[in-house]
Amino acid sequence: MREVLTANNLSYTYETGKKKVEALKGLSFAVNDGEIFGFIGPNGAGKTTTIKLLLGILISQKGELSVLGKSPTLPEARKSVGYMPEIANYYRYLTPVELLTMYGDIFGIEKKLLKARINELLRLVDLEKESDRIMGTFSKGMMQKVSFAQALVNDPDLLILDEPSSGLDPVARKNMREVIKSLRDKDKTVFFSSHELSEVELVSDRIGILNRGELLAVGPVEDLLGEKEEGQTLESYFLNMIEREI
Amino acid sequence: MKAIWAIASVMMRELVRKKDFYILLIFLLALLGFLSSQSFFNVEGISRYIKDFGYSLVTLFSFIIAVTFTAKQMPGELESKTIYPLLAKPVSRHTIILGKFLGGVVISSISFVLFYGIFCIFQWIGGTGNSFMLLGQGFLFGILFLCLVCAIAMFLSNIMTLGANITLSVLLYIMISGFADSVRDSVLFSKGITSVLGGIFYYLIPHFEFYDLRIRITHSWDPLPGWIVVAVALYTCIYCFVLIYFAGLIFRRKRL
Ligand SMILES: Nc1ncnc2c1ncn2[C@@H]1O[C@H](COP(=O)(O)OP(=O)(O)OP(=O)(O)O)[C@@H](O)[C@H]1O
Ligand SMILES: [Mg+2]
Repeated sequence: MREVLTANNLSYTYETGKKKVEALKGLSFAVNDGEIFGFIGPNGAGKTTTIKLLLGILISQKGELSVLGKSPTLPEARKSVGYMPEIANYYRYLTPVELLTMYGDIFGIEKKLLKARINELLRLVDLEKESDRIMGTFSKGMMQKVSFAQALVNDPDLLILDEPSSGLDPVARKNMREVIKSLRDKDKTVFFSSHELSEVELVSDRIGILNRGELLAVGPVEDLLGEKEEGQTLESYFLNMIEREI
Repeated sequence: MKAIWAIASVMMRELVRKKDFYILLIFLLALLGFLSSQSFFNVEGISRYIKDFGYSLVTLFSFIIAVTFTAKQMPGELESKTIYPLLAKPVSRHTIILGKFLGGVVISSISFVLFYGIFCIFQWIGGTGNSFMLLGQGFLFGILFLCLVCAIAMFLSNIMTLGANITLSVLLYIMISGFADSVRDSVLFSKGITSVLGGIFYYLIPHFEFYDLRIRITHSWDPLPGWIVVAVALYTCIYCFVLIYFAGLIFRRKRL
Protein backbone atom coordinates (compact mmCIF):
# COMPACT_ATOMS: atom_id res chain seq x y z
CA MET A 1 0.00 0.00 0.00
CA ARG A 2 1.34 3.40 -1.01
CA GLU A 3 1.61 6.14 1.56
CA VAL A 4 -0.14 9.23 0.31
CA LEU A 5 0.71 11.38 3.24
CA THR A 6 3.49 11.10 5.78
CA ALA A 7 4.48 13.29 8.66
CA ASN A 8 7.64 12.66 10.61
CA ASN A 9 8.29 14.44 13.88
CA LEU A 10 6.32 17.44 12.62
CA SER A 11 6.41 20.54 14.82
CA TYR A 12 5.08 24.03 14.49
CA THR A 13 5.31 27.07 16.74
CA TYR A 14 3.37 30.26 16.16
CA GLU A 15 5.27 33.38 17.07
CA THR A 16 3.32 36.58 17.56
CA GLY A 17 5.65 39.19 18.95
CA LYS A 18 7.24 37.73 22.05
CA LYS A 19 4.51 35.17 22.64
CA LYS A 20 5.10 31.65 21.37
CA VAL A 21 2.42 29.01 20.93
CA GLU A 22 3.65 25.48 20.38
CA ALA A 23 0.80 24.25 18.20
CA LEU A 24 2.35 20.91 17.14
CA LYS A 25 4.90 18.91 19.08
CA GLY A 26 6.57 16.19 17.03
CA LEU A 27 3.68 14.63 15.16
CA SER A 28 4.28 11.39 13.25
CA PHE A 29 1.68 9.56 11.20
CA ALA A 30 1.00 8.16 7.75
CA VAL A 31 -2.14 7.96 5.65
CA ASN A 32 -2.40 5.18 3.10
CA ASP A 33 -3.74 5.16 -0.41
CA GLY A 34 -7.52 4.78 -0.60
CA GLU A 35 -8.12 5.30 3.09
CA ILE A 36 -10.45 7.63 4.96
CA PHE A 37 -8.52 9.11 7.86
CA GLY A 38 -10.35 11.00 10.58
CA PHE A 39 -8.31 13.54 12.50
CA ILE A 40 -10.04 14.36 15.76
CA GLY A 41 -9.24 16.59 18.66
CA PRO A 42 -10.70 19.34 20.82
CA ASN A 43 -10.54 23.06 19.98
CA GLY A 44 -7.01 24.32 19.66
CA ALA A 45 -5.52 20.81 19.39
CA GLY A 46 -3.66 21.73 16.21
CA LYS A 47 -5.84 20.16 13.51
CA THR A 48 -6.03 23.22 11.28
CA THR A 49 -2.34 23.88 11.79
CA THR A 50 -1.52 20.35 10.59
CA ILE A 51 -3.74 20.83 7.55
CA LYS A 52 -2.14 24.16 6.69
CA LEU A 53 1.26 22.48 6.84
CA LEU A 54 0.04 19.69 4.54
CA LEU A 55 -0.98 22.32 1.99
CA GLY A 56 2.19 24.39 2.18
CA ILE A 57 0.22 27.35 3.57
CA LEU A 58 2.49 27.17 6.61
CA ILE A 59 6.06 25.91 6.44
CA SER A 60 7.11 23.49 9.16
CA GLN A 61 10.04 24.56 11.30
CA LYS A 62 10.94 21.01 12.28
CA GLY A 63 10.27 17.56 10.90
CA GLU A 64 9.47 16.13 7.48
CA LEU A 65 6.30 16.11 5.50
CA SER A 66 5.42 14.47 2.24
CA VAL A 67 2.20 14.81 0.27
CA LEU A 68 1.71 12.47 -2.70
CA GLY A 69 5.46 11.89 -2.64
CA LYS A 70 6.40 15.57 -2.76
CA SER A 71 7.25 18.31 -0.34
CA PRO A 72 4.11 20.43 0.22
CA THR A 73 6.10 23.61 -0.32
CA LEU A 74 6.12 22.83 -4.06
CA PRO A 75 3.03 23.99 -5.95
CA GLU A 76 3.10 20.73 -7.99
CA ALA A 77 2.45 18.76 -4.80
CA ARG A 78 -1.06 20.25 -4.78
CA LYS A 79 -2.00 19.28 -8.34
CA SER A 80 -4.06 16.30 -7.19
CA VAL A 81 -5.11 17.65 -3.82
CA GLY A 82 -8.54 19.05 -2.96
CA TYR A 83 -8.99 21.26 0.09
CA MET A 84 -12.03 22.43 1.96
CA PRO A 85 -11.11 25.10 4.51
CA GLU A 86 -12.47 25.43 8.02
CA ILE A 87 -14.16 28.74 7.19
CA ALA A 88 -16.09 28.61 3.94
CA ASN A 89 -15.83 32.07 2.50
CA TYR A 90 -15.59 32.80 -1.20
CA TYR A 91 -15.71 35.83 -3.48
CA ARG A 92 -19.17 37.13 -2.74
CA TYR A 93 -19.63 38.85 -6.11
CA LEU A 94 -19.18 35.59 -8.03
CA THR A 95 -21.66 32.80 -8.76
CA PRO A 96 -20.76 29.20 -7.83
CA VAL A 97 -20.21 28.39 -11.50
CA GLU A 98 -17.79 31.31 -11.91
CA LEU A 99 -15.91 30.35 -8.77
CA LEU A 100 -15.51 26.73 -9.83
CA THR A 101 -14.49 27.84 -13.32
CA MET A 102 -11.80 30.08 -11.88
CA TYR A 103 -10.39 27.29 -9.72
CA GLY A 104 -10.67 24.81 -12.59
CA ASP A 105 -8.70 27.19 -14.81
CA ILE A 106 -6.00 27.45 -12.17
CA PHE A 107 -5.71 23.67 -12.26
CA GLY A 108 -5.50 23.93 -16.05
CA ILE A 109 -8.52 21.71 -16.66
CA GLU A 110 -9.72 21.61 -20.23
CA LYS A 111 -12.83 23.79 -20.87
CA LYS A 112 -15.36 21.16 -21.94
CA LEU A 113 -14.38 18.72 -19.24
CA LEU A 114 -14.50 21.49 -16.64
CA LYS A 115 -17.99 22.56 -17.66
CA ALA A 116 -19.31 19.04 -17.38
CA ARG A 117 -17.60 18.51 -14.05
CA ILE A 118 -18.97 21.74 -12.58
CA ASN A 119 -22.52 20.72 -13.52
CA GLU A 120 -21.98 17.33 -11.97
CA LEU A 121 -20.53 18.79 -8.76
CA LEU A 122 -23.28 21.34 -8.29
CA ARG A 123 -25.81 18.53 -8.69
CA LEU A 124 -23.86 16.49 -6.17
CA VAL A 125 -24.05 19.20 -3.49
CA ASP A 126 -27.60 20.10 -4.41
CA LEU A 127 -26.88 23.65 -5.59
CA GLU A 128 -28.06 23.30 -9.19
CA LYS A 129 -30.81 25.86 -8.77
CA GLU A 130 -28.46 28.42 -7.23
CA SER A 131 -25.66 27.87 -9.70
CA ASP A 132 -26.07 31.30 -11.32
CA ARG A 133 -26.84 33.28 -8.20
CA ILE A 134 -24.25 35.60 -6.70
CA MET A 135 -22.87 34.03 -3.52
CA GLY A 136 -23.27 37.23 -1.49
CA THR A 137 -26.75 36.09 -0.48
CA PHE A 138 -25.84 32.49 0.34
CA SER A 139 -26.48 30.98 3.75
CA LYS A 140 -23.66 29.40 5.78
CA GLY A 141 -24.69 25.91 4.76
CA MET A 142 -24.88 26.85 1.09
CA MET A 143 -21.38 28.31 1.28
CA GLN A 144 -20.25 25.07 2.89
CA LYS A 145 -21.68 23.17 -0.06
CA VAL A 146 -19.88 25.44 -2.50
CA SER A 147 -16.75 24.82 -0.48
CA PHE A 148 -17.16 21.07 -0.76
CA ALA A 149 -17.77 21.31 -4.51
CA GLN A 150 -14.67 23.44 -5.10
CA ALA A 151 -12.55 20.91 -3.21
CA LEU A 152 -13.53 18.29 -5.79
CA VAL A 153 -13.13 20.40 -8.93
CA ASN A 154 -9.81 18.83 -9.93
CA ASP A 155 -11.01 15.27 -9.22
CA PRO A 156 -8.33 15.01 -6.52
CA ASP A 157 -6.52 11.87 -5.42
CA LEU A 158 -6.19 13.30 -1.93
CA LEU A 159 -8.99 15.25 -0.33
CA ILE A 160 -8.23 17.33 2.77
CA LEU A 161 -11.29 18.55 4.64
CA ASP A 162 -11.20 20.81 7.69
CA GLU A 163 -14.41 20.24 9.64
CA PRO A 164 -16.47 19.60 6.54
CA SER A 165 -19.87 19.06 8.12
CA SER A 166 -20.04 22.16 10.33
CA GLY A 167 -23.02 24.29 9.36
CA LEU A 168 -24.73 21.57 7.35
CA ASP A 169 -28.23 20.25 8.05
CA PRO A 170 -28.69 16.49 8.71
CA VAL A 171 -29.68 15.74 5.12
CA ALA A 172 -26.67 17.58 3.70
CA ARG A 173 -24.45 15.84 6.27
CA LYS A 174 -25.66 12.43 5.23
CA ASN A 175 -25.23 13.45 1.62
CA MET A 176 -21.64 14.48 2.26
CA ARG A 177 -20.93 11.23 4.11
CA GLU A 178 -22.22 9.29 1.13
CA VAL A 179 -19.96 11.25 -1.20
CA ILE A 180 -16.94 10.69 1.03
CA LYS A 181 -17.66 6.98 1.16
CA SER A 182 -18.10 6.84 -2.60
CA LEU A 183 -14.66 8.39 -2.96
CA ARG A 184 -13.17 5.41 -1.14
CA ASP A 185 -14.65 3.17 -3.83
CA LYS A 186 -12.81 5.25 -6.42
CA ASP A 187 -9.55 4.67 -4.52
CA LYS A 188 -9.28 8.25 -3.37
CA THR A 189 -7.73 9.19 -0.06
CA VAL A 190 -9.57 11.44 2.38
CA PHE A 191 -8.04 13.24 5.35
CA PHE A 192 -10.57 15.08 7.42
CA SER A 193 -10.68 16.83 10.78
CA SER A 194 -13.66 17.01 13.06
CA HIS A 195 -14.88 17.14 16.60
CA GLU A 196 -18.10 15.45 15.62
CA LEU A 197 -17.07 12.06 16.94
CA SER A 198 -20.17 10.18 15.85
CA GLU A 199 -19.47 11.47 12.36
CA VAL A 200 -15.89 10.30 12.34
CA GLU A 201 -16.94 6.87 13.54
CA LEU A 202 -19.37 6.49 10.65
CA VAL A 203 -16.97 7.05 7.79
CA SER A 204 -13.36 6.63 8.90
CA ASP A 205 -11.15 3.63 8.27
CA ARG A 206 -8.58 4.92 10.72
CA ILE A 207 -8.44 7.80 13.10
CA GLY A 208 -5.82 9.90 14.81
CA ILE A 209 -6.56 11.58 18.11
CA LEU A 210 -4.81 14.88 18.63
CA ASN A 211 -4.62 16.85 21.85
CA ARG A 212 -2.54 19.95 22.54
CA GLY A 213 -0.33 19.31 19.56
CA GLU A 214 0.38 15.68 20.40
CA LEU A 215 -1.02 12.53 18.84
CA LEU A 216 -2.54 10.41 21.59
CA ALA A 217 -3.45 7.45 19.41
CA VAL A 218 -3.60 6.38 15.77
CA GLY A 219 -5.33 3.29 14.46
CA PRO A 220 -8.43 1.65 13.00
CA VAL A 221 -11.63 2.68 14.73
CA GLU A 222 -12.33 -0.92 15.90
CA ASP A 223 -8.83 -1.34 17.34
CA LEU A 224 -8.97 1.84 19.35
CA LEU A 225 -12.36 0.95 20.71
CA GLY A 226 -11.35 -2.70 21.13
CA GLU A 227 -8.96 -1.74 23.91
CA LYS A 228 -11.97 -0.80 25.99
CA GLU A 229 -15.08 -2.55 27.20
CA GLU A 230 -17.85 -3.60 24.87
CA GLY A 231 -20.33 -1.03 23.72
CA GLN A 232 -18.09 1.93 24.32
CA THR A 233 -18.49 4.68 21.78
CA LEU A 234 -15.75 6.75 20.29
CA GLU A 235 -17.20 9.68 22.15
CA SER A 236 -16.52 8.25 25.59
CA TYR A 237 -13.18 6.81 24.51
CA PHE A 238 -12.11 10.19 23.28
CA LEU A 239 -13.20 12.01 26.41
CA ASN A 240 -11.45 9.42 28.60
CA MET A 241 -8.30 9.71 26.61
CA ILE A 242 -8.21 13.48 26.88
CA GLU A 243 -9.13 13.51 30.55
CA ARG A 244 -6.26 11.17 31.30
CA GLU A 245 -3.93 13.57 29.53
CA ILE A 246 -5.13 16.50 31.61
CA MET B 1 -0.07 31.54 -17.49
CA LYS B 2 -3.62 30.20 -17.39
CA ALA B 3 -3.55 30.42 -13.59
CA ILE B 4 -2.39 34.06 -13.67
CA TRP B 5 -5.18 34.93 -16.06
CA ALA B 6 -7.78 33.02 -14.01
CA ILE B 7 -6.86 35.06 -10.93
CA ALA B 8 -6.89 38.31 -12.91
CA SER B 9 -10.20 37.71 -14.64
CA VAL B 10 -12.05 37.40 -11.34
CA MET B 11 -11.20 41.05 -10.72
CA MET B 12 -12.97 42.04 -13.93
CA ARG B 13 -16.19 40.59 -12.55
CA GLU B 14 -15.56 42.59 -9.39
CA LEU B 15 -15.27 45.80 -11.46
CA VAL B 16 -18.50 45.10 -13.33
CA ARG B 17 -20.47 44.10 -10.24
CA LYS B 18 -19.45 46.87 -7.88
CA LYS B 19 -20.69 50.44 -8.03
CA ASP B 20 -17.37 52.34 -7.95
CA PHE B 21 -16.77 52.22 -11.68
CA TYR B 22 -20.24 53.40 -12.70
CA ILE B 23 -20.15 56.33 -10.32
CA LEU B 24 -16.88 57.58 -11.84
CA LEU B 25 -18.21 57.01 -15.35
CA ILE B 26 -21.37 59.04 -14.76
CA PHE B 27 -19.35 61.75 -13.03
CA LEU B 28 -16.97 62.05 -15.99
CA LEU B 29 -19.80 62.14 -18.53
CA ALA B 30 -21.59 64.84 -16.55
CA LEU B 31 -18.50 67.02 -16.17
CA LEU B 32 -17.37 66.73 -19.79
CA GLY B 33 -20.95 67.19 -20.98
CA PHE B 34 -21.31 70.33 -18.93
CA LEU B 35 -18.01 71.75 -20.17
CA SER B 36 -18.70 71.09 -23.83
CA SER B 37 -22.15 72.59 -23.57
CA GLN B 38 -20.31 75.78 -22.63
CA SER B 39 -18.27 75.66 -25.83
CA PHE B 40 -21.46 75.87 -27.89
CA PHE B 41 -21.97 79.28 -26.43
CA ASN B 42 -18.52 80.19 -27.65
CA VAL B 43 -16.97 80.88 -24.31
CA GLU B 44 -13.42 82.01 -25.00
CA GLY B 45 -10.76 79.32 -24.64
CA ILE B 46 -13.17 76.70 -23.38
CA SER B 47 -12.08 73.99 -25.85
CA ARG B 48 -8.52 74.20 -24.60
CA TYR B 49 -9.87 74.07 -21.09
CA ILE B 50 -11.91 70.96 -21.89
CA LYS B 51 -8.78 69.25 -23.14
CA ASP B 52 -6.77 70.24 -20.11
CA PHE B 53 -9.44 69.45 -17.58
CA GLY B 54 -10.74 66.38 -19.41
CA TYR B 55 -7.31 64.80 -19.69
CA SER B 56 -6.66 65.37 -15.99
CA LEU B 57 -10.04 63.86 -15.07
CA VAL B 58 -9.48 60.78 -17.24
CA THR B 59 -6.08 60.22 -15.64
CA LEU B 60 -7.35 60.84 -12.13
CA PHE B 61 -10.38 58.56 -12.43
CA SER B 62 -8.40 55.66 -13.88
CA PHE B 63 -5.80 56.24 -11.17
CA ILE B 64 -8.51 55.95 -8.51
CA ILE B 65 -9.76 52.66 -9.98
CA ALA B 66 -6.21 51.31 -10.28
CA VAL B 67 -5.23 52.17 -6.71
CA THR B 68 -8.42 51.23 -4.91
CA PHE B 69 -8.97 47.91 -6.68
CA THR B 70 -5.36 46.77 -6.60
CA ALA B 71 -4.69 47.90 -3.04
CA LYS B 72 -7.64 46.03 -1.59
CA GLN B 73 -6.90 42.69 -3.28
CA MET B 74 -4.43 41.10 -0.86
CA PRO B 75 -5.92 42.57 2.35
CA GLY B 76 -9.33 41.45 1.10
CA GLU B 77 -8.10 37.90 0.45
CA LEU B 78 -6.54 37.72 3.90
CA GLU B 79 -9.47 39.22 5.73
CA SER B 80 -12.16 37.12 4.07
CA LYS B 81 -9.87 34.07 4.24
CA THR B 82 -10.40 33.36 0.56
CA ILE B 83 -6.62 33.22 0.39
CA TYR B 84 -6.58 29.71 1.92
CA PRO B 85 -8.43 27.83 -0.81
CA LEU B 86 -6.41 29.85 -3.33
CA LEU B 87 -3.07 28.93 -1.73
CA ALA B 88 -4.16 25.28 -1.70
CA LYS B 89 -4.23 25.31 -5.50
CA PRO B 90 -1.06 24.45 -7.42
CA VAL B 91 0.13 28.06 -7.65
CA SER B 92 3.13 29.78 -6.16
CA ARG B 93 2.72 32.95 -4.16
CA HIS B 94 4.44 34.90 -6.92
CA THR B 95 1.77 33.69 -9.33
CA ILE B 96 -0.97 35.00 -7.04
CA ILE B 97 0.69 38.42 -6.77
CA LEU B 98 1.27 38.51 -10.52
CA GLY B 99 -2.35 37.54 -11.22
CA LYS B 100 -3.68 40.23 -8.91
CA PHE B 101 -1.34 42.83 -10.42
CA LEU B 102 -2.40 41.87 -13.92
CA GLY B 103 -6.05 42.05 -12.84
CA GLY B 104 -5.50 45.58 -11.54
CA VAL B 105 -3.82 46.58 -14.80
CA VAL B 106 -6.60 45.05 -16.91
CA ILE B 107 -9.53 46.61 -15.04
CA SER B 108 -7.96 50.04 -14.75
CA SER B 109 -7.05 49.84 -18.45
CA ILE B 110 -10.63 48.92 -19.36
CA SER B 111 -11.84 51.91 -17.36
CA PHE B 112 -9.19 54.09 -18.97
CA VAL B 113 -10.16 52.97 -22.48
CA LEU B 114 -13.73 53.95 -21.78
CA PHE B 115 -12.87 57.24 -20.12
CA TYR B 116 -10.28 58.15 -22.75
CA GLY B 117 -12.68 57.18 -25.54
CA ILE B 118 -15.29 59.52 -24.11
CA PHE B 119 -12.66 62.26 -23.83
CA CYS B 120 -11.65 61.82 -27.49
CA ILE B 121 -15.31 61.86 -28.59
CA PHE B 122 -15.90 65.11 -26.73
CA GLN B 123 -12.85 66.60 -28.43
CA TRP B 124 -14.11 65.43 -31.77
CA ILE B 125 -17.58 66.91 -31.16
CA GLY B 126 -15.94 70.17 -30.17
CA GLY B 127 -13.97 70.06 -33.46
CA THR B 128 -10.69 70.53 -31.63
CA GLY B 129 -9.25 67.03 -31.99
CA ASN B 130 -5.56 66.22 -31.83
CA SER B 131 -3.54 64.18 -34.28
CA PHE B 132 -4.14 60.44 -34.00
CA MET B 133 -0.46 59.97 -33.28
CA LEU B 134 -0.56 62.19 -30.20
CA LEU B 135 -3.85 60.73 -28.96
CA GLY B 136 -2.36 57.27 -29.47
CA GLN B 137 0.68 58.25 -27.42
CA GLY B 138 -1.59 59.65 -24.74
CA PHE B 139 -3.39 56.35 -24.71
CA LEU B 140 -0.22 54.23 -24.46
CA PHE B 141 1.23 56.44 -21.74
CA GLY B 142 -2.02 56.21 -19.85
CA ILE B 143 -1.82 52.40 -19.80
CA LEU B 144 1.86 52.44 -18.81
CA PHE B 145 1.05 54.89 -16.04
CA LEU B 146 -1.64 52.54 -14.73
CA CYS B 147 0.81 49.60 -14.77
CA LEU B 148 3.17 51.57 -12.56
CA VAL B 149 0.35 52.66 -10.23
CA CYS B 150 -0.90 49.07 -9.86
CA ALA B 151 2.61 47.75 -9.19
CA ILE B 152 3.16 50.32 -6.45
CA ALA B 153 -0.24 49.65 -4.85
CA MET B 154 0.38 45.88 -5.02
CA PHE B 155 3.82 46.22 -3.46
CA LEU B 156 2.61 48.49 -0.68
CA SER B 157 -0.38 46.24 0.07
CA ASN B 158 2.09 43.61 1.29
CA ILE B 159 3.74 45.89 3.82
CA MET B 160 1.01 48.21 5.12
CA THR B 161 -2.71 48.49 5.79
CA LEU B 162 -5.20 49.34 3.08
CA GLY B 163 -5.74 52.88 4.35
CA ALA B 164 -2.02 53.64 4.60
CA ASN B 165 -1.45 52.17 1.15
CA ILE B 166 -4.09 54.31 -0.56
CA THR B 167 -2.97 57.45 1.29
CA LEU B 168 0.68 56.89 0.38
CA SER B 169 -0.14 56.06 -3.25
CA VAL B 170 -2.19 59.24 -3.62
CA LEU B 171 0.47 61.32 -1.87
CA LEU B 172 3.23 59.91 -4.08
CA TYR B 173 1.16 60.68 -7.14
CA ILE B 174 0.44 64.26 -6.13
CA MET B 175 3.96 65.01 -4.87
CA ILE B 176 5.80 63.48 -7.80
CA SER B 177 3.58 64.81 -10.56
CA GLY B 178 3.81 68.22 -8.94
CA PHE B 179 7.34 68.48 -7.66
CA ALA B 180 9.59 66.02 -9.51
CA ASP B 181 11.07 68.85 -11.57
CA SER B 182 11.88 70.91 -8.50
CA VAL B 183 13.54 67.87 -6.91
CA ARG B 184 15.66 67.37 -10.01
CA ASP B 185 16.68 71.04 -10.08
CA SER B 186 17.60 71.11 -6.41
CA VAL B 187 19.66 67.92 -6.85
CA LEU B 188 21.46 69.45 -9.80
CA PHE B 189 22.40 72.53 -7.83
CA SER B 190 23.30 70.82 -4.56
CA LYS B 191 26.81 69.65 -3.63
CA GLY B 192 28.50 66.83 -1.70
CA ILE B 193 26.54 64.21 0.18
CA THR B 194 23.16 65.92 -0.37
CA SER B 195 23.76 65.78 -4.08
CA VAL B 196 24.50 62.04 -3.91
CA LEU B 197 21.56 61.22 -1.63
CA GLY B 198 19.27 63.51 -3.58
CA GLY B 199 20.39 61.86 -6.80
CA ILE B 200 19.65 58.40 -5.47
CA PHE B 201 16.27 59.61 -4.23
CA TYR B 202 15.49 61.20 -7.56
CA TYR B 203 16.35 58.07 -9.53
CA LEU B 204 14.40 55.74 -7.23
CA ILE B 205 11.07 57.55 -7.04
CA PRO B 206 8.40 56.46 -9.54
CA HIS B 207 8.38 59.18 -12.17
CA PHE B 208 4.68 59.77 -12.74
CA GLU B 209 5.50 62.98 -14.55
CA PHE B 210 6.98 60.96 -17.45
CA TYR B 211 3.49 59.86 -18.42
CA ASP B 212 1.84 63.25 -18.31
CA LEU B 213 1.01 64.43 -21.83
CA ARG B 214 -1.57 66.93 -20.63
CA ILE B 215 0.20 70.07 -21.81
CA ARG B 216 1.15 68.49 -25.11
CA ILE B 217 -2.45 67.44 -25.76
CA THR B 218 -3.96 70.70 -24.52
CA HIS B 219 -1.83 72.75 -26.89
CA SER B 220 -1.92 70.18 -29.71
CA TRP B 221 1.86 70.03 -29.90
CA ASP B 222 3.76 67.49 -31.99
CA PRO B 223 3.83 63.88 -30.84
CA LEU B 224 6.84 62.66 -28.83
CA PRO B 225 9.79 61.17 -30.70
CA GLY B 226 9.73 57.36 -30.84
CA TRP B 227 12.80 56.78 -28.67
CA ILE B 228 11.19 58.55 -25.73
CA VAL B 229 8.13 56.34 -26.02
CA VAL B 230 10.34 53.23 -26.04
CA ALA B 231 12.40 54.49 -23.11
CA VAL B 232 9.32 55.21 -20.99
CA ALA B 233 7.88 51.78 -21.83
CA LEU B 234 11.15 50.12 -20.79
CA TYR B 235 11.31 52.16 -17.62
CA THR B 236 7.78 51.05 -16.72
CA CYS B 237 8.54 47.37 -17.37
CA ILE B 238 11.66 47.37 -15.20
CA TYR B 239 10.03 49.32 -12.38
CA CYS B 240 6.98 47.02 -12.35
CA PHE B 241 9.08 43.86 -12.56
CA VAL B 242 11.19 44.85 -9.55
CA LEU B 243 8.17 45.86 -7.45
CA ILE B 244 6.15 42.74 -8.24
CA TYR B 245 9.16 40.50 -7.65
CA PHE B 246 9.74 41.97 -4.20
CA ALA B 247 6.01 41.93 -3.43
CA GLY B 248 6.09 38.18 -4.15
CA LEU B 249 9.12 37.67 -1.90
CA ILE B 250 7.47 39.52 0.97
CA PHE B 251 4.22 37.62 0.51
CA ARG B 252 6.11 34.32 0.47
CA ARG B 253 7.62 35.05 3.86
CA LYS B 254 4.31 36.07 5.36
CA ARG B 255 2.95 33.73 8.06
CA LEU B 256 -0.70 33.06 7.34
N1 LIG C 1 -2.22 32.52 13.54
C1 LIG C 1 -1.99 32.07 14.78
N2 LIG C 1 -1.20 32.77 15.62
C2 LIG C 1 -0.95 32.33 16.88
N3 LIG C 1 -1.44 31.19 17.38
C3 LIG C 1 -2.24 30.45 16.59
C4 LIG C 1 -2.56 30.85 15.26
N4 LIG C 1 -3.37 29.93 14.71
C5 LIG C 1 -3.55 28.99 15.66
N5 LIG C 1 -2.88 29.29 16.78
C6 LIG C 1 -2.82 28.47 18.02
O1 LIG C 1 -2.35 27.18 17.69
C7 LIG C 1 -3.08 26.19 18.40
C8 LIG C 1 -3.70 25.21 17.43
O2 LIG C 1 -4.67 25.86 16.65
P1 LIG C 1 -5.48 25.16 15.47
O3 LIG C 1 -6.24 26.20 14.75
O4 LIG C 1 -4.55 24.33 14.68
O5 LIG C 1 -6.48 24.22 16.30
P2 LIG C 1 -7.68 23.30 15.80
O6 LIG C 1 -7.42 21.94 16.27
O7 LIG C 1 -7.91 23.46 14.36
O8 LIG C 1 -8.91 23.91 16.63
P3 LIG C 1 -10.46 24.08 16.21
O9 LIG C 1 -11.09 22.76 16.46
O10 LIG C 1 -10.96 25.10 17.15
O11 LIG C 1 -10.52 24.50 14.80
C9 LIG C 1 -4.08 26.94 19.26
O12 LIG C 1 -3.54 27.05 20.55
C10 LIG C 1 -4.18 28.29 18.62
O13 LIG C 1 -4.44 29.28 19.59
MG1 LIG D 1 -9.46 24.14 13.24
